[in-house]
Amino acid sequence: MLDAARPRVGGHRVRAAAVRLRRFASVGGEVLRNPTTLAGVTIIVAMVGMALLAPVLTEPNVPDPYQMPRDWGALNEPPGTPDHLLGTTQHGGDVLYGIIWGSRTSLRLSLIVVSVTVAIGVIVGSLAGFLGGRVDEVLMRIVDVFLSIPELIFALAIAAVLGPSFGNIILALAAVFWVKYARIIRGQVIHVKQNDYVDAARVIGDSRLNIFVKDVLPNSITPVAVQATLDMGNVVLIGAALSFIGLAEAGLAEWGVLVSQGQAGISAGRWWASTFPGLMVFLWALAFNLVGDGLRDVLDPRTERR
Amino acid sequence: MKTVPARAARPIPVKNRNLVTVRNLRRYFPIREGALQRVVGHVRAVDGVSFDVRRGETVGVVGESGCGKTTLGRCINGLLPPTDGGVYFDLGDDEHARLDALTAMPSEARTREQAAELERLDRTHRVDRLRGEAWRSYRRNCQVVFQDAFSSLNPRQLVKDIVGRPLKVYREASGSELMERVVGLLESVGLGRQHLYRYPHQFSGGQRQRISIARALALDPDFIVLDEPTSALDVSVQAQILNLLNDLQRERGLTYLFISHDLGVVRHMSDRIVVMYVGEIVEAGTRDDVFNSPLHPYTEALLEASPELAHDTDRRAGALEGRVPDPARPPQGCRFHTRCPVVTPSCGFEVDDAVRMLEGRGAGLDHLRGVQRRSAFEADLSFDDEEFAGLMVRVLEGPETPAEMREAMIGLTRSGSTVAIRFRDIDRVRLEEIRPAHVTSCILHTGQGLDPGDRHMREKNGG
Ligand SMILES: Nc1ncnc2c1ncn2[C@@H]1O[C@H](COP(=O)(O)OP(=O)(O)OP(=O)(O)O)[C@@H](O)[C@H]1O
Ligand code: SF4
Ligand SMILES: [Mg+2]
Repeated sequence: MLDAARPRVGGHRVRAAAVRLRRFASVGGEVLRNPTTLAGVTIIVAMVGMALLAPVLTEPNVPDPYQMPRDWGALNEPPGTPDHLLGTTQHGGDVLYGIIWGSRTSLRLSLIVVSVTVAIGVIVGSLAGFLGGRVDEVLMRIVDVFLSIPELIFALAIAAVLGPSFGNIILALAAVFWVKYARIIRGQVIHVKQNDYVDAARVIGDSRLNIFVKDVLPNSITPVAVQATLDMGNVVLIGAALSFIGLAEAGLAEWGVLVSQGQAGISAGRWWASTFPGLMVFLWALAFNLVGDGLRDVLDPRTERR
Repeated sequence: MKTVPARAARPIPVKNRNLVTVRNLRRYFPIREGALQRVVGHVRAVDGVSFDVRRGETVGVVGESGCGKTTLGRCINGLLPPTDGGVYFDLGDDEHARLDALTAMPSEARTREQAAELERLDRTHRVDRLRGEAWRSYRRNCQVVFQDAFSSLNPRQLVKDIVGRPLKVYREASGSELMERVVGLLESVGLGRQHLYRYPHQFSGGQRQRISIARALALDPDFIVLDEPTSALDVSVQAQILNLLNDLQRERGLTYLFISHDLGVVRHMSDRIVVMYVGEIVEAGTRDDVFNSPLHPYTEALLEASPELAHDTDRRAGALEGRVPDPARPPQGCRFHTRCPVVTPSCGFEVDDAVRMLEGRGAGLDHLRGVQRRSAFEADLSFDDEEFAGLMVRVLEGPETPAEMREAMIGLTRSGSTVAIRFRDIDRVRLEEIRPAHVTSCILHTGQGLDPGDRHMREKNGG
């Protein structure tokens, strides 16, 4: 046999990585073939780009760039005013600045909430599903309690108790959103662990931890990825709702706060101060929902053959 | 010219004759009901099974769906702990004899020393009791190939990782050595290097089963449970996999437990056959004995049901009728008596049979108020009124009721609207050796509790 046909260890790693990457790319390609998903991805890329480039796009406010700058000489300016492309608020805040830095706030909010809740939910749900028995019973009882209260009301109650601040909104949302992941992953784990490959791994003598990490988790996780994508949008929507009713600090460069503070002017014809940020919230939630749905179609376990 | 150096005398490892020893194995699954999930009964999937698998042979396990074949296999693989009894792996010949002596006696009859001896055997050889090094050694030597080639391979692992995994678990190899061994394993099942970096979904059913076999072979085991390894495959592919399994067995000195409901396949593969029915063994013997001169009517019926194997066409046993009874409430006496074409009055007729028979005749069971059991063989059936009760008695006494059932009924009295019915008390049947190494539980052969008149009756009925 030719020596060239025997790749070295490094070669094996590289090849395996290449195969996995190709598979990942093919999923990506399939997702993007759907025009609505593509639209969603485009919006997300634009918004995330805006968030990352915020300091380049606008002069950061000092000392705190996440506070709205105030131009006392330009209150309630309509869109198109020089230096204030999308107009200003009743406090002289530049709406465009609020939108650009607000995208940072939104991205931060959704990333923190989703990653924390996915982590908690996956840990709780997989412990319950994988270990079963008593552990399962106790954990799921707790989950049921959380589930029995409507999301928004629960988040509202927590935020209200903790007091108005953006950090507390993050906490409130995290307290609400982890439950869903726990439920999803538990159901998946219970289903996946019945597969013969799990028993085959047991017969080989592999450890429970290895079986969980190699066999159960990777085959249980896709619905979580879909839900997480959807929640990247939902978190911002509910977060905005909480800010809107005044649970965030006033003056924060955040879309919900802007909508809330701008709504007073709508009846006076000053539509821009709340419409533009409101549109952003809408677009953000829409985009992630489009991508989430697209992912679900491609990753649906019933149609998935990867 | 060089002299060949004399080989250093190495101790030849002593190989035990029996690799797997199953003794009085029971595996029950609790049935839970209601909000409190109370246990209301048990599915007796495996209900008192004993047999041996000797090194180098293939034991075929046959029986209809739901007879407990898979549960038996899973107990042997250590995937399910037994409810009672156990599976012993690689007993020494002396230990095997001791175990036989110890398990043959009822547990309360054992002396303190005997109990301690059994405990020692359990700890060192019973698969659900093994720990540490003994457990690892058992795990390496007892592998499995499942029926479902799609569910038995992790869809997210590459073939190289699936087949190499056992070697990694036991740190047998790593890096390029691991990869070469994986290639060797793939080649031994008819696959090759080009398949290393593929996912399971890129293979056909037959190829996937080859991957499963390669994984099972990775640790060079002594024993493999093959649970319907070809049932899901096309006939042409089936033959290839069976031949592969036979070749591997010869090359590697493997021992198989081959589970299948396809008698043709089992005959092709097995040295000895175990026939299971509702959690019990009803017949066991060499392949030729079981196929050429079956003893149990169930075996005969199975053979009859697979046309290419029916050896004796004017045999009375017809095709298998009816369904396998619910293993949560197995029939009394001989469990096959609800379907047996040559059933006798001594086979275990019980109240359930009478009720089922009345049901089958459409005999107005809407008017049956309740069944009050004193035992499986004795009960009061209460009806809406005397008229129906009288009708039932006439049906049970009349020609609509099979003669064997009528014969087994030792009491049938009506008082008012209640019918008291009583059958003979029949013990559970036991396996007995009828010919050398050929056992069955059918009382026509064992004679257990068989009334001489009943045998006569069977002959009179055309047996
Ligand atoms: N985990 C379980 N929980 C409850 N009941 C079970 C379980 N596994 C098997 N059973 C029951 O035990 C009985 C025997 O099942 P088993 O799978 O061992 O039969 P089998 O002979 O392999 O049948 P098949 O040919 O369909 O594979 C069946 O009645 C089945 O419903
Ligand atoms: S004991 Fe024999 S004859 Fe009686 S029911 Fe069972 S198989 Fe039939
Ligand atoms: Mg089975």
